This record gives sequence, structure tokens and C-alpha cells, in this order.
Amino acid sequence: MLPSKIIRMVVASRSITECLKVMPLTNRNLSVSTVKLCDTSEESKQVTLYRSFEDIKDKNKDTYLDMIRIFLNRDYVYRRGHVEFIYAALKNMESFGVHKDLEVYKSLIDVLPKGKFIPTNMFQVEFMHYPKQQQCIIDLLEQMEDNGVMPDYEMEDLLRNIFGNKGFPLRKYWRMMYWMPKFKNASPWLLPNPLPSDVLELAKLAIHQICSVDVQTQITVYQSRDIEDSIDDTWIVSAQSPIQRSLLRDHDVKQPVYVEGAFRVWLKSNQVNYFVLRADPKPLKTVQEDSDDVSNIKVPFMFNIKPPIKKHLQLSTSVHTQEDGVILALCATGTSSKDSLLSWIRHLEMDGNPTLADVPIVFTLKSGVKEVATVIDNEQNKEVETSK
Amino acid sequence: MYPLRYILLVNRRISYVNKNLFHTSSVLHTFWERDDKGGYNTKTSVPIKERMRLGLQELKKEIELWKKEIKEDFESDPVLAFRPGETDIMWKFGTEESLQQWVVTSDSDHNEGYSKGSLTLTNTGKGLFSGELSTKVPKDGRTKRAGYCNIKTLRARKSFKRETYLDWNNYNMLVLKVRGDGRSYMVNIATRGYYDVLWNDIYHFVLWTRGGPYWQITKIPFSKFFLSSKGRIQDKQYPIPLNKITSFGISAGDKVNGPFSLEIDYVGLEFDPNHTEEFAYEMYKAPKYIVAV
Repeated sequence: MLPSKIIRMVVASRSITECLKVMPLTNRNLSVSTVKLCDTSEESKQVTLYRSFEDIKDKNKDTYLDMIRIFLNRDYVYRRGHVEFIYAALKNMESFGVHKDLEVYKSLIDVLPKGKFIPTNMFQVEFMHYPKQQQCIIDLLEQMEDNGVMPDYEMEDLLRNIFGNKGFPLRKYWRMMYWMPKFKNASPWLLPNPLPSDVLELAKLAIHQICSVDVQTQITVYQSRDIEDSIDDTWIVSAQSPIQRSLLRDHDVKQPVYVEGAFRVWLKSNQVNYFVLRADPKPLKTVQEDSDDVSNIKVPFMFNIKPPIKKHLQLSTSVHTQEDGVILALCATGTSSKDSLLSWIRHLEMDGNPTLADVPIVFTLKSGVKEVATVIDNEQNKEVETSK
Repeated sequence: MYPLRYILLVNRRISYVNKNLFHTSSVLHTFWERDDKGGYNTKTSVPIKERMRLGLQELKKEIELWKKEIKEDFESDPVLAFRPGETDIMWKFGTEESLQQWVVTSDSDHNEGYSKGSLTLTNTGKGLFSGELSTKVPKDGRTKRAGYCNIKTLRARKSFKRETYLDWNNYNMLVLKVRGDGRSYMVNIATRGYYDVLWNDIYHFVLWTRGGPYWQITKIPFSKFFLSSKGRIQDKQYPIPLNKITSFGISAGDKVNGPFSLEIDYVGLEFDPNHTEEFAYEMYKAPKYIVAV
């Protein structure tokens, strides 16, 4: 072989390797997609920007809707990757705080093309025409259901335009529209939707809900700073009904009353701690009479002129006389501290419960739910405090 | 043949093995359901000697139960009068034995979640269904959502472990005396049928709780209960067959993370003549091929 020929071959092979290196780039540039043609950065090579939702710093509804708009504007004619985009969007809803927003769900469904997925014959209907797309929207509807978002009629039109009259997402929608309104307002203790974010308002709602047993209950908001020597400066939502006031008035001053808590009450996903002022349970004395015993029948008319015996009469108990304690008052405070509870007792005392000045008050603030209303003998847990 | 055994037997490299043999999700080959636990293995193997010993112990109790049944048969004195306003208690809490009738389950039992629940007695002798709910989904690539705890009574049975049904035909209300924590719970009445499609028939209704120190007595008419199977509300609804009750349960799973507690005094039944509703949900004929598919 001639040396010149060898040199030529080497040159040729080098040029081939050079070509190979360049090839991928040129290949990319020859892509059909218009998006890929214009910019060659790494992100644009993907059909869908999978991690783009996570990358956004400022997460709110506007930026979320912007993301949908960006997806829509990337390609108007040959738009692809709807399903991947919707799944990525669904996964990130909660971090953007839009998981309870109907408008956002609707604009996500709106991403899909209208008319394209509508089946044209019965076989297509039966075999779930465009199954990935249908399943994706079913999953979206299920996420709505999980988050308690009820669809509206506009969504029905949207789904009908996308999947036709027999689409599976539409069937899911109809099921949702049948069942969800049935239970939306069925709770006997309805709460505002959305719940207020203010803690004081939440505490008021919680105490109001608990005290729905007695419609006469008055809910008062005290300020702990109104009490002299109080350390905390916070609010106290207190609830007491006239019946409870009279129960406390008739309370034996030798018997202690207990301030117990904190107990938990849930308002949807928010929890509120509340405290109870209670006295020892007063078991109802029931006289068990054997109706089969005929040895000593009382005849009320014949030889008995005296009025009925008084000991058989009893005061009827109120709802506050529970079997494990007599509930005298309820409260929730801003700090749930012992000091704020002391202020609460002082406020109650000034607000029509003078008995509290003489009654020994026991603070059992560590008890859990299991000890809701049981007298704890453990001396470590209680701290007897007599007023004055 | 299972893929791994296939590889071992034929001794081929994994790259040559048909990738379709590996399933990333559970596959249902037929409609037929093999066992009523839905594939969850809850059986414990007891050695045969131990089993015989336990069986003989059981025999004593079963004969006792059988005697009682025979006696009742001869007496033939069933409750015939509907007593309006009177609650017949079905399950009452208070003793350790009363807890024996209940089964507590949660999603952490089979590593499908992180919720934990328990059924205990309070200091005042009531049942306390409490625990911690967590909607955290384990990263097993299979579980989609998590977060439930459940209590359920054992299946109604006669002597010698013969399964039977509870007959609640004389009643039209379920009465519960509970003290909750403001959460809502689900009351489940199972009416297990003979065929496998009916195994998971459960009627549900919501038990809303007030929260706070006051007990609440909740009366739920049976007409309000709706049918679901495997947690999916069914398109075709039927009134609850009250003579086919197999078990009763309460579940917590309101998608709120955190501790829950529900004190239960009793679960009872009542006949209220003023409640005449038979079924609360529409029974009209739905268009063909749209519902129940």
C-alpha cells in the first residue's frame, strides 16, 4: 500500500469520526417538531417538562395557571404529552395550594383537545377509546373527590366535548354529581367552607360546636390581661349556660372542682384544644322496684291521705350531668397555659359565679383523653389551689 | 411458570428473558376470587397437636352454646312486639370480654400505610377506639392512598363455628352512644353474600361526632345506608337486607393526619314507627350500558 493512500484513509476516517460527533446535533436540528427546532437547550428536548413544577420558586395559583399556559403555548397544532403533563400537574397541586380549587381542575381538563377522543362507534365506546387519556381524567376526578371539590356543569360540557357522551370520565362525573351533593351539607354540625385561618375564630367555632348540646349556652371572649397579675396576654373563649351557672351555684364548697385538659377537638383538618371545668359525678339514685313482687303493694287512694312521699321525687338532671362528671364550663385559650386558665377562672368568678371564690380548684392539666373525667389520685398530676 | 423459576431452570441470561414475564403491578387473570381475604394472608400455622388441644377446649364451649340454642328452640319465645322508643343493645363495651368480639385493623397491618389503631377500655369502662391516622403512602409503587383504622365485629355464628346471619328485620334504626373528637367516622354494616361478587358488600353511613365532653346518642335509619363494594359506591343501589347482616364495624379514615379517639358505650337497635322511609336513594331505571359498567 502506498503511503499516500494510507494518509488519505486516515484523513477519511478522521472525518468520519468528526461527522459522527456532529451527527446527533444535526439529527436534532432536523426534528419535525417546531419546538425542538428553535432551541437546543437540554430541557426543550423533553416532550413534557417533568420536573418543571418542582423547579418553580414562587408557588401559587397564578404560577400554576401560568404553567398550564406555557404548556398550551409550546405547540398549538401538534401538542403532545397531555397525559404526562396532567399527571405531573396533579402531583404538584398541593404544594401550590390549588388542590381545592375547581377552576384549576377545569383548566387542567381543558388541556385535552376537543373532538379528537370522541368515539365514533360502539366498539370504541366499549373498549375505552383513548384509554390513557380517559384514565388520566378519571384519576383527576378522583383527586377532586379526595379533596372534597365538587364539580360544576361547565365541567360536564368540557368532558362531553372531549370524550363524547359515553366517555368513562363523564360517567365518573355523573356519579360524583349524584353522591357528593347528598353529603355536602349532611353534617349536623356544619362548618364554614373554607374554615377561617384565625385561631380565635376556630376556637369560637369549636366551642360553639361542643356547646350545641345546650342552646342556652353563652359564649364569651375574655382577655386575660383584664385580670390583675396575669402573665399571659391572650384571649379566652369561654362557654357557660345558665344551667351550668346554677349547678355551680349549688355546688358544695367543700367538694373540689377540676380544671381539666387539654382535650382535642377536630374541625375538619384543624385541631383545637379545649379545657373543662367539672365537678365530681352525681349518680342518679334510681330505686329498683321489682314489679313481680306482690308482697307489699302500695295503694295510693284507699288508706293514704298523706301527700306522696317526697323522697321519691328527684330533680331531673340536665345534659351537663354526664355520668363521668358534671360539666360546669368550657374554654379554649390562646396559649393553653396554666396562667391563662387561672385568668379564665377569675373571669368566671367575676361573671356571675361567686362560688368559685370558695371552692377548691384542682388543675389536672396533663390528663389525656383516656382520663376524660376521672378523679386522678396521683398527687403529682394535681395541684390544689384554693382561691384566696 | 413464574419468571424467576423460568430463569433458574432454563439458565438463561436475564437480558434474553421476555420482559413481559415481569409484572410491575398485580395482575388479575380471572374474575373469580380465590379467597375472601382478597389475597391478604392472615392465617397462622398452628402445629397439629396444638390444634387438637385447642379444638378440644373449644368443643366444651361449643357444646355449651349448642345447648343454649336447643333450649331456645324448645322455648320458642322470640321477641315479637316492636317496642317503639326502646333500644335493644347489640354490642356493649365495659368488660374485657366485650372487646373479644371486635377485630381492629389498620393499613399498617400489611405494610400499606402508617396508621395505627387500638380498641381499649377507658377508666370509666367504655370502649375507646383510638389511634393515629396517617395518609402517608408507603413507597412500594403499588399503594395509591393510605390512612385508615377500622374496628369490626366477628362474623355472626352459631355453635360449632357455623356461620349465620343477624336478623334485624324488626328494627329500622341503628343507635350508637358515642363520644367523639369532632371527626367523622364511617359506620359499616357488612351483608356478605354467597357468591364472590357479593363477598365485599358493605352498607355505609357517616357518623358525625360533636367532640367535647358530652356523650351523643346518634340514631341512623337503615334506609340511609348506601351500598358499596371494596370501598366503591355502587351504581345500582338496594335497600339493606336486614336479615343478612354478617358484621358491623366503624372505621376512621377522614384523610386528616393525627390522633383520633372515639369512645363507644353501646351499639343498639331501635324500632321507630314514625320513620317510614324505605330507601333514601333514587331507584329509578338508569340508561343501559352506562351504569354498573
